[in-house]
Formats: sequence, structure tokens, C-alpha cells
Amino acid sequence: MYYFHLRDTDTVIDSEGTELANETAARDHAAGVARELTFKSVGMMQRQWSDWTLSVHDDKGAELFSFALSEYETGGK
Amino acid sequence: MERDLRQISLAQGTVIYEPGATLDTIYFPQGGLISLLVVTKEGGSIETATVGREGAVGLHAAIGRRRSFTLATTQIAGRFSIIRAARFEQIAADSRAVRELIARYTELLWAEAQQAAACNAVHDAASRLCRWLLQCADRIGSETVPLTQEFLAQMLGVRRTTVTLLAQTMQKKGLIKYSRGHIAILDRAAISACACECYHVLHADRLPAAIGISLEAHSGGGKTNGRV
Repeated sequence: MYYFHLRDTDTVIDSEGTELANETAARDHAAGVARELTFKSVGMMQRQWSDWTLSVHDDKGAELFSFALSEYETGGK
Repeated sequence: MERDLRQISLAQGTVIYEPGATLDTIYFPQGGLISLLVVTKEGGSIETATVGREGAVGLHAAIGRRRSFTLATTQIAGRFSIIRAARFEQIAADSRAVRELIARYTELLWAEAQQAAACNAVHDAASRLCRWLLQCADRIGSETVPLTQEFLAQMLGVRRTTVTLLAQTMQKKGLIKYSRGHIAILDRAAISACACECYHVLHADRLPAAIGISLEAHSGGGKTNGRV
């Protein structure tokens, strides 16, 4: 199980998690989520995507990797 | 027509029509909601229209043997009135008022599908989620929408993780309260402010009135806040 949290000064927790085969699949999934969140959008909670990080954790809570949402920003308003 | 209608209950996720299936029954939602979905060859799906108590699925079977272009599923469980298409065709042939209502509703559904196409192409996931929540609440007549995030993701054509993160954000801002399988709208005004323009075009003002179809909307109070 992998968990995908959003962080800047706030934290938005993925409480549900997603069953994925391995870390490579988790990276692909994270990239997809980032594209969906940033599509035609400039940010969240009145803050730009450049302020937000997507952080991926395993089911023990250890962070596996993270990246800035701005890396996936597409077609902002 | 009332004596020809039969009442049934359908669970969430019930497939009413597969793409290409012959329309042999007309479904009138009483408390549930039906989604019309386009399914991709990879197995993903995205909603193109919803049908609640304001309308019906399969109405155009009134003008002869017709097929479904989309996957029709029960998005929200509930009670439905149904009638055989052959009988409905007879009723429509005898009643100009019924034919007129069919034409008007079909016009609205067509407009909704067109709007959905534009919405999915140009509007962000958060705005579409807000629109969708209001649309569902209006059509089932309740500010609590009984849906899982998995189902919601399917309707919006995004990953469930994306819905979870957006829903958590909305919950942090006090717009909704989410508990397993239910989303309660707490601040309709704020959600309306976050919703894309498609909600207002299709539901709150212009199009339904122009066509002469009523889509009852709940009034809501509460603070107005910024975007998700």
C-alpha cells in the first residue's frame, strides 16, 4: 500500500492509500495524480503549485520519494 | 401512464444498459441517480451526463427501436419507476404532450453531454468535483450524497487518490464532511463558488428554464469562501 500526501505549510493526507505493485508503479501513479491535480489549475488553497510537494509513503509511514507539483503543471488558468 | 409503471429498487453500480444494448425499458429515477458513461478501451470511464428525478433513461425509445450509446449505471441507489419501451412508444404515439416532454428532455440531455465534453477538456478537477457534488445533491434532493471516493473518481475520470486529496482539502475548509461512503455538503455557497461554470449553465439558471424543464435546487446558507 502506498500513500500520497500533499504538503506545504498545510498537509493534506491521503488516508485511504492505494494498492500498487511496487515503487515504480507508485511513481507512475504519483505522476498521474500530479497531472490531474494541476491540469488547468494554478494551485490549491490559494497557494501556487510551486509551493506544494507530493510526498509518497509506504505503509510503515516512511517517505519513499517526493516532488514539487509545479514539475507537472499543465495548462494553468 | 401511471398504471403501466412498475416500481423497483436498484443498488449502486447496477448496469442498466451496456453500450449498444437495445433500449427495452425506460427508467425514471425517483430517489436514485443514473450515470451515462463513456468507457475507454483501457477500461477507464468518464461521465457524460446524469439522470435524476427530473428525467429518464431510454426516452428516445418512444420513437422506435433504439440502442444505448453509453454505459448506463446506477450511480446512487434508490427507487426507480420503469415501463416497457414498447408500451411507452404506444403512449407517446397517442400523446402530443408526452412527445413534447420527450423532445425537451432529450434536448436538455444533449446540451448536458456537450457541456460535459467541454468541461472535461478545460476545467480543473477541483471545479468539476464541486460541480458534480451540487449536481448530484440537486437531483437526488438531498445535501448528503451517498458515494464512495472510488465511484466519484470513476465519474470524474481521475484517480481515486486525486479525489481523496481534493475531498480532504474541501473538508479542511469546512465545505464538506466525508465519512465512509457519504459526502455531506456543509457550505453550498462556497462549493457553488468553486464549481465550474457548467453547474450554473446546466442547473442553476439558463438552460433548464429555456427548455422548460425544472431542476429543483436546494437553497443553502453558510459562509462564502475562496477556491478549493
